Amino acid sequence: MSAFKLVDGSPGHRTYRTVMWALFVLVAIAVPFWAVQTPVLSIGQSAFTFSLGNLSHAVSYMVGVLGLGLLIGFNGQISLGNSFFMGIGAYVTATLVTDNGWPYLLTLVVVIPVTFLVGMLVGLPALRIRGLYLALTTLGLAAVFPALVRLEQVRERTGGPNGKRITSDLDAPSWLPIQTVGEVLAGIPVLGNWIFGEGRVGGGDADTIWVYLLLAALAGLAFWVTRNLIYSRPGRSIIAIRDNETGAAVSGVNLSMTKTLTFGTSAALGGLSGTMYAMAIQFVAPDVFGVNLAIFLVVGLVVGGVGTLSGAVIGGIVIIFVPLWASQVASVPGVPERFLRGPTGTFFLGVLLIVLTFFLPGGIVYGMRKLRSRVVRIQPSRRSEIDDLDVIDVHEDAAARLLDRRESDTVSGL
Amino acid sequence: MELFLARLFDGLSAGATYAVIAVALVLIYKATTLINFAQGELAMLGSFVAYVLAVEQGLPIYVAVVVAMVITAALAGGIERVLIRPFDPSNHLPLVIITLGLFLLINAVAGMVWGFDPRRFPGVFPDGNAWTFGIARLRWYTVGTLATVVVLLVVLTILLNRTKIGLAFRAVSSNLESAGLVGVRAGPTLQFGWALAASVGTLAGVLFVSDPFRQLEPTYAQRVLIFASAAAVLGGLDSLWGALAGGLALGLVESIVVGYVEFIPSQMGLATAVFVIIAVLLVRPAGLFGTKVIERV
Repeated sequence: MSAFKLVDGSPGHRTYRTVMWALFVLVAIAVPFWAVQTPVLSIGQSAFTFSLGNLSHAVSYMVGVLGLGLLIGFNGQISLGNSFFMGIGAYVTATLVTDNGWPYLLTLVVVIPVTFLVGMLVGLPALRIRGLYLALTTLGLAAVFPALVRLEQVRERTGGPNGKRITSDLDAPSWLPIQTVGEVLAGIPVLGNWIFGEGRVGGGDADTIWVYLLLAALAGLAFWVTRNLIYSRPGRSIIAIRDNETGAAVSGVNLSMTKTLTFGTSAALGGLSGTMYAMAIQFVAPDVFGVNLAIFLVVGLVVGGVGTLSGAVIGGIVIIFVPLWASQVASVPGVPERFLRGPTGTFFLGVLLIVLTFFLPGGIVYGMRKLRSRVVRIQPSRRSEIDDLDVIDVHEDAAARLLDRRESDTVSGL
Repeated sequence: MELFLARLFDGLSAGATYAVIAVALVLIYKATTLINFAQGELAMLGSFVAYVLAVEQGLPIYVAVVVAMVITAALAGGIERVLIRPFDPSNHLPLVIITLGLFLLINAVAGMVWGFDPRRFPGVFPDGNAWTFGIARLRWYTVGTLATVVVLLVVLTILLNRTKIGLAFRAVSSNLESAGLVGVRAGPTLQFGWALAASVGTLAGVLFVSDPFRQLEPTYAQRVLIFASAAAVLGGLDSLWGALAGGLALGLVESIVVGYVEFIPSQMGLATAVFVIIAVLLVRPAGLFGTKVIERV
């Protein structure tokens, strides 16, 4: 029973969407001014502190999850190796910025084509290797990356086992009125001071806010491009392969081409994510991009929602903030304190992965859509011609069932 | 010649341990056509249990290993019942995700309980060398591991081919629905497969870390999983003896090829394994001894 009904494509629906998007963008811009004060959230007795840097870190992982989601959620290829491409992106950016003095954003000119090509190369075997075997191969790829950057031959550029600090700072440009925005936000009656503090944004703070905004813009661009890809003709081919490979081939989809290109695109998103990681953390180390990250990306994907785009936003936040929260829990009754100093974050992500696959296979996004449908329901329009949107919505329903436990009669590409 | 022999023996001893974990992977694959990504972690957990029993509780090492095998078998049986069985076996994605979740979970639990400091695992086989030729030493460890693998494979072959539960196991792995129709209870049979694989995995883990040159710590299994997968894929994912051949071949490749070919740096053993996986899957997906899958197009 929903309170409001909106017909898809009607002016009301369009206004609703515009307002929602505007709200989202406003919040995304305002959040750093809140987070830069290193907020403390208290739940019961335990307090949780995080910094804006963590948020930027999460934004960079969102794009990684997005790339993985494009491959698993929309193309149905179970690949786990996106951490490999993230590693390439991060390391290429690190070495070009530090050793060659390039600006960060310019490195994307190298990172994106390189990861795209490497992704296509990896995708070529994927034409024959499918399902579980592909998962295995790509997991192996993820496991190899830390060893690759430790090689003697490349140690000069990669920094070997010690990692590489990036010696170039991202300074906020002077034309950007970060200080003014901070003051305006703090000036909001009643809530302003409470949320945004005094609105004083010091030099260092302005820089971290600038990095966040830059990353958020890059992520927004990546999501926008991916969304357009999914809603386009190639996107329909990608989804058709997931739903029924034979059917897609019969309908004239070039399987090899589409799969390889999807692999490349996913890898390029991974590379972008790696560059963003380098911008956010300004330090790269071999073990960051190992098997654990590869699986964390899967956690992000499943928690957010397989086969949804917005799930990647939630996924990126979850894989950063759950371990961060877990590492700050100092005492739990009945659990030895020594346990809490261990990898509790990994523990919770593992639990989360299993629990969500069981109880909310569509992920948080699907759960939120169900909740939203109690308030606002969007009805399909009754126009005779079916536009792209409706087709995709049908597919999104299919995506929510990708992880379903029930036996399905449909032939699936998975 | 001496160097070659030394590398040969190194390769054999590493290969034998890869082979045992590969056998565990093959068992799960045979039962469910699923690759259990948590297999290596289960083996790691099993070797920690054996360590606790043998070193902290003072049990004799052989008793400790057997008890650890029973414990992990029970654990894996439970995992199969609770986490795996509710899912449709033909849909791989959720199952892959569940085993990846288990991977993280088991790894984290071991890290939380035992920490990441490397520990010395008590030797299962006597120290010293069975045969010495210059710098080439055939250690008792190598001999013992190889012998264990062969005995294990013989036992498993008899178990699968001569016993009733083995028949049920093969029926389920051949065709789930037909097996159900002739009265084989698929669930318990698969549960048996998981338990068996986990205890074999524990044995493999113990063998691996009982090498005096290796140490026990929660991350060792990640590397082993890749090698074992490569071994299993090379031998054919549904062939038990193929796993032995694949494991030995891989161990030899790692020690001999990487040792002799100069432009392959020594840390590249893992990369070699991944390359083997990719090459085999591309050229001969059924592996050396596996059954070819005939697919309806």
